[in-house]
Amino acid sequence: MVFKKILVPVVGSEADEETMKLACRLAKKDKGKVWAVSVVAIKRALPLDAEIDSEIRKAEDVLNSVESIAEEEDSEVETDVLQAREVGPAIVDEAVERGVNLILMGITYKKRFGQFSLGNVVPYVLKNSPCPVMLYQQ
Amino acid sequence: MSESWQPKPGDRIFRPRRIKRFRLRRVLGIPAVFSAGYGNVGSSIYYALGIVALVAMGATPLALGIAGILFIFTALTYAEGTAALPEAGGSASFTRHAFGNTAGFIAGWALMLSYIVTISISAFTIPPYLGFFWEPFKASPVIGTFASIGIVFFLMVINVIGIRETSFINVGATLIDILTQVSLVVIGFVLLFDPSRLWQSMLDHWPSGQNLVLGIALATIAYTGIETMSQMAEETKKPEKSVPRALILMIVAVLVIFAGISLVSLSAMSPEELATEWARDPVAGIAFNLPIEIIRTILKPLIAVLAGTILLIATNAGLIGISRLAFSQGTHGLVPPALSRVHSRFKTPYISIIVFSLIAIAILLPGFFATDVFANMGALYAVGSLLAFMFAHASIIGLRIRKPEMERPFKVGWNIMIKGREIPISALIGLASTSTIWIIILITQAYSRWVGLGWMVVGLIIYFILRKTRRKPSEEWQIKRRK
Repeated sequence: MVFKKILVPVVGSEADEETMKLACRLAKKDKGKVWAVSVVAIKRALPLDAEIDSEIRKAEDVLNSVESIAEEEDSEVETDVLQAREVGPAIVDEAVERGVNLILMGITYKKRFGQFSLGNVVPYVLKNSPCPVMLYQQ
Repeated sequence: MSESWQPKPGDRIFRPRRIKRFRLRRVLGIPAVFSAGYGNVGSSIYYALGIVALVAMGATPLALGIAGILFIFTALTYAEGTAALPEAGGSASFTRHAFGNTAGFIAGWALMLSYIVTISISAFTIPPYLGFFWEPFKASPVIGTFASIGIVFFLMVINVIGIRETSFINVGATLIDILTQVSLVVIGFVLLFDPSRLWQSMLDHWPSGQNLVLGIALATIAYTGIETMSQMAEETKKPEKSVPRALILMIVAVLVIFAGISLVSLSAMSPEELATEWARDPVAGIAFNLPIEIIRTILKPLIAVLAGTILLIATNAGLIGISRLAFSQGTHGLVPPALSRVHSRFKTPYISIIVFSLIAIAILLPGFFATDVFANMGALYAVGSLLAFMFAHASIIGLRIRKPEMERPFKVGWNIMIKGREIPISALIGLASTSTIWIIILITQAYSRWVGLGWMVVGLIIYFILRKTRRKPSEEWQIKRRK
């Protein structure tokens, strides 16, 4: 499989660093490109273009840190902050628009009501993604 | 520059902030925009029919029909405005672009009134429908009003905390709503429709000329949800194409269903019954009067649950709409900054949600004592929304004159040329008729006149205080032009 375009959604979790490294190595092998996106979910009581400084700053910090990881890996990465109502549809839509070959998502082990849970975003992306999805669990 | 240049320790490194701070990810398509719009417009049939019948009596279908024609003009105006300016503010946004901040504020403030009354009126009509399950909800004004206040309070808390709203429920409820309304119309036509009897009943209860005009005025509230679709434009994919298409789809759906339901309602009961016993829950009245027992048994609880759900969604949509609008106005300095303050933990505009919910509750309070509170609320709703529609029509005309070169992905046809500018006839008729109806309501309805105008005066005072106290840029930072 050739991964020329890889989309890495990042959230600022422990898994981001290793996921980003993996994405850079995969992309480098195929002379591809990596896009890292951080999605800010905006509540429905606010307009979609509402600028919530604390959230945007948090997303930019996350992207700055993945940019430095890519620099260490000697890879090129393009980063973007997206504002959307729901994280899952925003990731899938971004993948469709960019025509990516792979979505690489980092996840951490989480429990909800005593059971292992992937949350809402990962299952949505797995179900609706137009391309292969790889999960990296820290 | 020397090629051997290397940063030295102590060199200042400036990492510029991203110029484009964020991109908006719009994912909604035509079905989602249509269902959001229909969810709002379709919910109004559950109360508008009763309010119109209160004054228009036998001429209720005619009043709804004439208001429906105005609705087509208004929808076309919104389609052009929204396709050109897909922003959160709706008609307030069009007005700001066409006539500047002060007019933008007035339109936004009027729209806020209409949103507040949407919250009150939708919450006020939920208990009568739920009266199927527990009679006092419908029979007792105290219990009914208390339940309505409880609903607004509950939604206020939920919206402050910001629980995720699943769009699936919205879309699902709208779909079931359309299906039920269509089945009710079909069943009603098959079982009840008798043109000669209906005609006779309409003639026997024909209203006075003044009441007919007032009925048309009140019927406009059936179509006010159009603003919601305009607000949805900001999160719609390719809004320039999908919003006009969704609006046209809604015009057809709404007109067909409203015409059907109003005719069926007058076939099922007399205008007197519709205007008294079933004024607050007219659709339940249709189900109650169906001649076949089994259909009645199925439809009565279904309509009670469905109307309750749809009206609850409409109440919530009003609350969400007003907080978005207040935030959008706040970013342009048109309302006090506190209204656009976001809660540090919940990330919701909590002050605006609480303030507007409390005002909606205050509008519900007369429900404990007054009997005509329902008609008053309807007229007040019309005052706010008609003012917003007037501004929308005027803005579309204003933009055609002032910014003829502006990109208009959807342009209303049938124009007349005035001084080299294309002016849409539909917007001209829309502006003239909405203004006339607005003036009629102000003249004939004392409650709406004083509360509506009072609201606007309070808004203008706040606006001018805001403008006066807004910090002006200090001299030091102003770039002075050389003479």
